[in-house]
Formats: sequence, structure tokens, C-alpha cells
Amino acid sequence: MPDQTRNGMQCHEFDLLLTEALDGVLSGVALDRFQAHAKSCKACGPLLAEAEAGRNWLKGLTEVEPPASLVTNILASTTGVDTQRLRTAAPLYQPRVSWWEQVRASYVEPVLAMVRQPRFAMSFGMAFFALSAIMTVAGVKPGDAALTVSQMVEHPSSIRHVYYNTQARIVRYYENARIVYEYQAAMQRFKRTAPAEPGPAKKKDRPNDTTQQPEQKQERNYSQTENQLILASVPVGPYLECCDLPVVSVTTDRRFV
Amino acid sequence: MEDVQVVAMLVRRCIAGDAAAWEEIVHTYNRRIYNICYRFAGSADDAQDLTQDVFIKMYRTLPSYDASKGAFVTWVTTITRNLLVDHFRKTKQDRMTDSMDTPASEHEDAQPLSEQIPDQSAPPDAHIRRREVSETVHAALGKLSPELREAVILRDLQDMDYREIATVLKVPEGTVKSRINRGRAELARLLQRTYRQVM
Repeated sequence: MPDQTRNGMQCHEFDLLLTEALDGVLSGVALDRFQAHAKSCKACGPLLAEAEAGRNWLKGLTEVEPPASLVTNILASTTGVDTQRLRTAAPLYQPRVSWWEQVRASYVEPVLAMVRQPRFAMSFGMAFFALSAIMTVAGVKPGDAALTVSQMVEHPSSIRHVYYNTQARIVRYYENARIVYEYQAAMQRFKRTAPAEPGPAKKKDRPNDTTQQPEQKQERNYSQTENQLILASVPVGPYLECCDLPVVSVTTDRRFV
Repeated sequence: MEDVQVVAMLVRRCIAGDAAAWEEIVHTYNRRIYNICYRFAGSADDAQDLTQDVFIKMYRTLPSYDASKGAFVTWVTTITRNLLVDHFRKTKQDRMTDSMDTPASEHEDAQPLSEQIPDQSAPPDAHIRRREVSETVHAALGKLSPELREAVILRDLQDMDYREIATVLKVPEGTVKSRINRGRAELARLLQRTYRQVM
């Protein structure tokens, strides 16, 4: 189609507006320009007539009736015979799974499966009764806890109040503990300063001892050997007889254990 | 056209393995798909085979349908169109020897196009005459190039809007409109030529 400009409209523009003109949605100035171009352009005028004729021919075509066996054949080839093929081809087409379904399959379902077990239900029941028994004995009511939380939410200053109360309680506890420790220390000092009472004589009864020797003391005070001299000695050989042997003094800094 | 939520529910049931949902989809769309195939392929037997292939492909790829990307009917039409193009390419060699005298339709006792032109002298029954005209137009439609044919079928026979056709054909809307215009004009020229031959 030659791209000519007639009546302010190009053939290309006419081509784009042709479908709208045939659909009956073109109106006003655009329709006037379109019709003027169709009358004046030798290429676009016949095109409009042919397109309109072709459209009318096609609109005259009616829907054809599918064969009666079509649906049966389709169902047989998909849900019937084809089922096995679908199963083998399944990995090719992974269904789109939403994040919620993924989370449910990964986390929620296993937890629910565990919860559904009678053993878990029994354990949960026992834990619940134990907790309620403890709370009853301690005098704690769930309503109080909920009230405290709601108070904290409504009045943030109550959080500060609770903090200072707790801090004061801790300080009092340690003050009391300090008094107790001081009292215990004073008692111990008093015991040490008091004269010791003569205790019962130790009975040296060693029924299994067959050596008839006095008992050796096993304990050693290694700290006393810390500053003693250790003399190193060497065997005297023929070639060292003429010389004075050096005396090596070593002061050990570490304990022999 | 289609209730999006109802169709989405049908598809979900289908994916979950509900045979009744699949049967409902087949019942709803088989007529439409068959008509597209019949008008494009020109043969009732080919249309039946192609419709069956379309549904097999649909059944396999149903989980890949994304409702957010477009209507279900557009998705179905896209599958149909792709299969038709594949079929057209496969059978291209067979059609090389076709002529206007070749039977274009096997649907209703098809005759060569030159014999299908209604004889103006004989006063035929209106019903038969309409049928003959329909067969003539159908045969002429088969002579259009596939690009023009699919565009006019989707617009004038399936009443799809230009945007949906652009989605199915994967071309801009302007190209769709241009193809429709050229297809209609070409069809009219073919029919005029055929009538002139007979007259």
C-alpha cells in the first residue's frame, strides 16, 4: 500500500482505523477523515470495500457441530488411556505451589501429624495438669498475669515501676545475705579463739599391718625444698681426676610435683 | 465470557485429580476448539484429531496455567493455535499439489470449490443454498495464508478482541488489525474470482 497523505490521513493510519470503522466504533472527526480518505485514495477505497465484503462472508459462516464421539474420545485419551503417560510425564510439569502451601507441607503438616498422635495428647495433658497444679499451689492465677501484661501495655510507666521494685528486692536479698555471712564469720572466729577441749586419745589400731614398723607419713611439704641447693654430681673418670669439679647450684623456680 | 473464579476453581479441582472437573472443561471447550481446528485445517477428520491433541496437551500442561497471565480461554486458544501451526508445518508438503479443485472439506460431502458455487439459475432450497455458500467460504478460507487465516478466524469466527488475539499470536495489536484487514480483503478477492469463473 503506498503511504500517501490524503485529507490529512496517511494510508498506514487508514489501515489501523479500518478495523475500528468496520466494528462501528469510529465516530466524529476521525470517521469523517476516514471516509474522506477512502473516497479519495485509489488503494484504500477498494480495500475498505473488500474488507467489508470479506467480513460479511465470514460472519455468514455458522458453527459446525463436533462429532458425537469427540468428547468420549478426548476423555478416553486423557483420563483413561493416558493416565499412565501422565504419571511418567509428571516431573516435566511441576505444579505451581504457593508459599503458604509450601510452609504448610514443610512445617504445619508434620507438627499437626505429631499432635494428632495419642501419645502427644497424653503428654500434653499431663504437662497441662502439672502446670495448673503448680500454679494453684503457688497461688498464681492466669487472669492476674494477663491483667499485668495488659496494664504494662496500657501504662508504660508501670514497666519502670516493676523494674525498680525488682531491683530493690534483689538489693534487699543481698543485704540480708551479707548480714548472715558476717554473723557466721563472727561465730567461726569465736570458736577459734575459745580453748580447745582435749579430745580422745587416738588409738593406733592397725590390724592388717604385719610389718611391725612405725607408720610413715605420706605427706610432704614440697614448698620447703623450694630454696634448697641441688648439687649436681658427675661420675669421676680418669680424665677428670686432676681438675676440681664445678659445683652447680640451681635454684628451682618451680615445684617438683 | 467466562467466569474467572469458576474456571480457576475447575482448573484447581482438575489438578487435584477430580475427573468430573476435567470432564466439565472438555464439555465446555470442545466445540470451540473443534471449530477453530476445522476452520484452520479445513478437514473434519483433521479437526477431530487436532482437537483431541489439544485436549491431551491441555491435560498435561494444566498445572502450568497461570490465571494472572490471562483468561483460560486465551490460554486454551494459544495451545490450539500452536498445535495448528505445527500441524500446518508438518503437512506443508502434502498441500503443495492442492488446487482449487481439490476437495477442501470432508465435513459435509465436500465438493471441489468450483462446483460449490451456487447456481443462480436453479432455485435451490434456502437451507441448501446457505450450506453451499458456507462451504464455498470455508474452502476460500483454506486458501488464505496461515497468518491471515488464523487472524480472521479468531476475530470473525471466535469473536475474540484484538488484545486477546495479540496474546495468542504473540504479535502487536497493530499487526493483528493489519492481518485481519488483509485476510478479509484477500478472502473477498478469492470469492469474487471464483464467482467470476463460474459466471
